[in-house]
Amino acid sequence: MPVARTLTHVDVESGIRFPRWRPGAWLLLVPALGAIGTVSVYPVLLGLWLSFRNTTLSSPDDAFIGVSNYQQLFADSQFWNAWGHTIEFTGASTLLETMLGLAMALVLTERFLGRGIVRAAMLIPWAIPTVVTSKMFGWLFDGQHGLVNYLARFFGLIHTNINWYGSPEFALPTIVMADVWKTTPFMALLLLAGLQTIPPSLTEAASIDGANPWQQFWMVRFPLLAPSLLIAAMFRALDAFRIFDLVYVLTGGGPADSTEVLSTLTYKNLFSALQFGYGSALSTVMFLTEIVIAVGFGVFLLKRLQEVKL
Amino acid sequence: MRFFAVICIIKMHKNAFPHDKLDREPFSRPVIDNDDLKPARPGADSGSGLNRREFIRRSGMALAGAAAVSTFVGPRRAYAASAVELTFASAKFYGKQTIAEVVKAFNDSQSKIHVTYKELPPPSSSTEVHQSLVQQLARRNGDPDVFTLDIIWIAEFAAAKWALPLDQYFKDNTGEYFPGMVQACTWQNKLVALPWFVDSGMLYYRKDLGISAPSTWTDLIASAKEAIGSGKVKFGFLWQAKQAEVLVCDLVSFIGSNGGAILQADGKTVSIADAPAVQAVQLMYDLINKEQITPADVLSWDEEPSRRPFTGGEAAFLRNWSYVWKIAQSEAESKVVDEVAVVPLPHFPDKKSAACLGGYQYGINASSKKRDAAVEFVRWMSSPETQLRFATQLGLCPTRAAVFEQPEIGTEQPFMQQLKEVFLGAIPRPVTPKYPQVTLALQSAVSTALTTGKVEESLKSAKQKIDTIVKA
Repeated sequence: MPVARTLTHVDVESGIRFPRWRPGAWLLLVPALGAIGTVSVYPVLLGLWLSFRNTTLSSPDDAFIGVSNYQQLFADSQFWNAWGHTIEFTGASTLLETMLGLAMALVLTERFLGRGIVRAAMLIPWAIPTVVTSKMFGWLFDGQHGLVNYLARFFGLIHTNINWYGSPEFALPTIVMADVWKTTPFMALLLLAGLQTIPPSLTEAASIDGANPWQQFWMVRFPLLAPSLLIAAMFRALDAFRIFDLVYVLTGGGPADSTEVLSTLTYKNLFSALQFGYGSALSTVMFLTEIVIAVGFGVFLLKRLQEVKL
Repeated sequence: MRFFAVICIIKMHKNAFPHDKLDREPFSRPVIDNDDLKPARPGADSGSGLNRREFIRRSGMALAGAAAVSTFVGPRRAYAASAVELTFASAKFYGKQTIAEVVKAFNDSQSKIHVTYKELPPPSSSTEVHQSLVQQLARRNGDPDVFTLDIIWIAEFAAAKWALPLDQYFKDNTGEYFPGMVQACTWQNKLVALPWFVDSGMLYYRKDLGISAPSTWTDLIASAKEAIGSGKVKFGFLWQAKQAEVLVCDLVSFIGSNGGAILQADGKTVSIADAPAVQAVQLMYDLINKEQITPADVLSWDEEPSRRPFTGGEAAFLRNWSYVWKIAQSEAESKVVDEVAVVPLPHFPDKKSAACLGGYQYGINASSKKRDAAVEFVRWMSSPETQLRFATQLGLCPTRAAVFEQPEIGTEQPFMQQLKEVFLGAIPRPVTPKYPQVTLALQSAVSTALTTGKVEESLKSAKQKIDTIVKA
């Protein structure tokens, strides 16, 4: 049996994994570790360090102040407001995009004339830069001259124009719509890839056993697709949580803070007000919430994978 | 490989021109240069004003220049090797000419100072301009030597000691500018910036609707209702209430037109929840909800969305900046050519009109080691001749009252002369080094007041927040 050339070895008695002294192998890891360290670990740690200071670029203040920033943060109603909007946005857009994306993927996995063209065309919304999407949706949902109001009035759905971006109850849902339009193709693509890995023989076997399409989907395809679905949803949720460009371009967080999300609030504190300390505390809390989301999905995913194995 | 080639060229170049008198290329240099945005390395050769990178670049270009000369024999300027090198960072403005061309004119006008222009984003991306300047100034390495700053950053830059006090250089000249501009450039009794150009909020209205210029808000409401009633326009009065800086600009003119203020001159007393301010914000709310001469869409509109319906002929009144005039008079973009007039914004009974003061100023980096050269450059940039050039070529309104009287303004920018009266009544936004934080608190509170109608409550919470900010 060949000796495993790993960087660790497991102590037979205790079962603990110990690092193995292999200078050559470790040396080969240096470039990768260096890259990850400089672009990922160092900025996160620096942000964490800044969040315990009162650094403001435009003033000489730059001292360690302990957890004051966090105390101020948790007492800040604007923060909780933004946090709530971010969670709402993440939940709504991830759910809608996953469902619509799954439906699209199920259609696109079937054979039909022009499937290649449809598959390629589907990606267009996702390929358009978000700022362009934002401007486009700005025009579509314009309260006075927008196409959406015009069509809704034309078909008698509404009698007076809806003020999409200027009213607190419509602004966030409109931004969710824009995001769904833009990102659903991405979800569809990931799920399509997942569907393609499911051997057709399984659904064939199920249909021979007399399962109808509905049963085939829920009993065969869905359980096998679940890991891909969870990974795709996790990606989407983590990405949606960072929503910035749509909000920044369309509403700037208004009206009445009704579309303020964590990214825009952090940006305002960091780059408009130059409060590096407080802004870093904000982004640290964002980072922690993202970890919670990732771990939540991760645990769910592991469970799911174990079930599939059994 | 390319680097190696450059080294060879330099070596050849050094042999060819041992005294290096030809380090200016005859053609204009690119306006944007990323190398220039990098910090100068400590110990870089400051004697000749060239660091190695700069030297390499220029030498290469000089060689190209020499080659060009041998081909096209023509006049070219010899550039004095002893010239003081200055860097000048400014937001991007353009018209018939660019800032780069004005800077080039300065470089060509004398041989003692050479200025390199670093272009920043346009003023519409004000946050990015601010961020970029702050990042450079906070390094306190003297780069850029001269910069331009928005009127709302003056207190911040002065309190951070980034802007050099200018009294000793310009105290005899302050009388030449609009008093309001000099006041805006002064922080704690020190002149910390020199006025460049001025802009302010103003009222545009449609002459063809038979409206006379309103002097009070009551007049404006009556005229607007009449205009809507006649069926000729869809909207009465358009302004901007997007939760952004422009909301504070509008706020300042509403509150100022009722004799109120957001922050008192001491920079510590917050008066946003006092009666004049509350009445003014209530008026803003009423224009939308009670008088209904303003569509609720303004809650998400900044300058351009509010400008389009007006130049499209759909509105009777518009509050906006001076840039709208050019668009309103352009056949291609406007349906109301020759039908628009500009006046100061209305006011409350027995009070004065108040426009929100805008514009950019020149500042000198307090860490610059080339102060005298920087002062000379700024003096030239702010001179009557250069202001006239900015006015006629870039459409930027002079801050010197005398320049408005120049005949060239009358022929090239007749509209500008009408603005003198508007500018005289312009008032600044809250003057405090904490302005960036104050404006965020204001935007959030006033947007809430206008959306929910809870005017007093929102302004009280704003007062509380701003109190904490300015007293910290």
